Amino acid sequence: MRAGHVLHASLAMAALVLGPSVARADSAADEAATKLAVHVCASCHGPGGNSTSPTFPKLAAQQEPYLVAQINAFKSGKRGEKEAHDYMLGMTTLIDDATAAALGRYFARQPPAAGEPGDPQQVARGKQLFEQGAEGKVVACATCHGAHAEGNGIFPRLAGQHAPYVVKQLKVIQSNLRQSPVMHGIITKLTSDDMADVAAYVQSL
Amino acid sequence: MRRSVGNLWMFAVWIGMAWMALVSPSLAVPAYARQTGQACVACHVSFPELTPYGRRFKLSGYTIGKRQDLPLAVMAQMGYTDVRNNKDDQGQPIVPKTDQIIGSAASLFVAGKINDHIGGWIQWTYNNLFVNSNGQTKGHSGIDNTDLRVTGSSADADSTELRWLYGLTVNNNPTLQDVWNSTPAMGFPFTLPPNGISQIATTLIDGKLAQQVAGVGGYVFWNQQVYVELSGYQAADGFFSVLRRGQLTDEPGGVKRLDGFNPYWRVAYNREWGANSLMVGTFGAIFHVYPDNTMPFTPTDRFRDIAFDAQWQNIGDPNTYTMQFTHIIESQDYRASYPATLEGTPIGVGPTPANHGDTLVTDKLKFTYYYERKYGGTLQVNRTHGSTDTGLYAPGSVTGSLNGKPDTTFFVAELDYLPIQNVRLMLQYYDFVKFNGAGSNYDGSGRNAHDNNTLFANVWVAF
Repeated sequence: MRAGHVLHASLAMAALVLGPSVARADSAADEAATKLAVHVCASCHGPGGNSTSPTFPKLAAQQEPYLVAQINAFKSGKRGEKEAHDYMLGMTTLIDDATAAALGRYFARQPPAAGEPGDPQQVARGKQLFEQGAEGKVVACATCHGAHAEGNGIFPRLAGQHAPYVVKQLKVIQSNLRQSPVMHGIITKLTSDDMADVAAYVQSL
Repeated sequence: MRRSVGNLWMFAVWIGMAWMALVSPSLAVPAYARQTGQACVACHVSFPELTPYGRRFKLSGYTIGKRQDLPLAVMAQMGYTDVRNNKDDQGQPIVPKTDQIIGSAASLFVAGKINDHIGGWIQWTYNNLFVNSNGQTKGHSGIDNTDLRVTGSSADADSTELRWLYGLTVNNNPTLQDVWNSTPAMGFPFTLPPNGISQIATTLIDGKLAQQVAGVGGYVFWNQQVYVELSGYQAADGFFSVLRRGQLTDEPGGVKRLDGFNPYWRVAYNREWGANSLMVGTFGAIFHVYPDNTMPFTPTDRFRDIAFDAQWQNIGDPNTYTMQFTHIIESQDYRASYPATLEGTPIGVGPTPANHGDTLVTDKLKFTYYYERKYGGTLQVNRTHGSTDTGLYAPGSVTGSLNGKPDTTFFVAELDYLPIQNVRLMLQYYDFVKFNGAGSNYDGSGRNAHDNNTLFANVWVAF
């Protein structure tokens, strides 16, 4: 038996042995994550991640990589806003990597609640900013966040998100309390009115 | 060196404050913050008022988070009390230790989860301004609020929210187990001036049985909407005697003593939308009380308390608004004390009512505003009124009633500042419009309700 064959056979054996155990670990983590989501997360983030209070973001249908990245950011203190410290820092330190990944899967698969309509003029201005940006001020949000604000991987879903939460996060990022290298550069010139407009738009989706 | 001496001094001050002060049962429990890793504001609007998450934490038996090896917390209060007219008609001081800064009490908590289904809290309080039966003010320690729980829950069909949250509680203060702050045990004012001038009558469920009874009950919270609880209270004897440790059980009139099983019930409807939460509910109890606590073989009087309450909270950033309303109706049936009084042989130091039955009603309405959960203001109106009973409410300097009425109305205004989450600076003013039946000469000795107006400044530290 040549060395290459031995390697292949070993890998195949390993896959046979490890495959089910990885799946088992995943399903155990999924179970733990579901329990955590129902018992703890739901009390602020709402049933299935559809929160009612604008203090707490909606997590339903959020991008899985973004969710996991945020859990890690809370855990490591990279999110420096007061709410991150008050509510999330301690809770996330109790979450291991497997459970974090499973929480990402859990919230990503939850159906999102319908958007909330806002003031039509504000929504129209927000739509313009979101889809086309403003010359010399900000690039179109849709470039990264998707045409329907559905998000893409590490770029969060914004559709249906509470407008006050979106405004708050834009300000938090603008003041460098939240580490988000891409966003820092992009929203430097965004005014409070712009933020309110674009937040009203994404909330309506 | 100089810096370290300064630090040492600061440390000594903090420790001193921690061990010197406090008054009323109150509950910021930093042990829970350490267990969950969250800040106080996650569970409290301002301690002890609970947020929706705080309510779930309590109903879950304090089991969210990671068990601590040393689930301890301490709390201390020191303050300054000024009574508008602190001299009785003989020129004697009424409230001791006024117009000076003094530590009032300190508490030690053992609080937290034992496992995923069992948790609780035990509070032990040292009261530096305890007034004993000889009228002397001295230090005294005893058990304070205690609540131990076993809980369980189940999720809804699509595993997104709790369908049932249920549990058992053992506690030593009716309504302590409740999660809405429109119930008395955790109701406003959260801190009172030590040894303030007490009105002649309050209902039993409004704090009169605290740390004197043992209650065991079961509750369910369905869909985060409907809460139902049934409990039974009894004298904290035998196995439960630790729940009233430090109380003056052997002194006639030292405590209230219940006979047998005394039912307590609670039904509440809860709804949350946006930043709002609303609860409307009712609670009540029937208590059989020995007229004299040291004579637990006599017939008993019967008190039926029925209350309606409501709470609304809008917890936002930076503004938070909350409101609580409580209406308690107490029917007092002096089936033991009244005949005994009529025959001229009152039962021990028990009540000597002039009527077979009386009614006592208390209304409380409170409104609180907080800015950034740091600067707060609260207004409360508190009104008690009831049957005229010259046997229960007799004339007497300061604490008596000339016209035999229990009617008392007062406003409480409070300002709060929390420079850090473990410290609350508080300024309170009590304005009495009516006291023990009247606004002027209420006691028959020329004292007016306004003479009891009290200013109370307080520092509350918990860590």
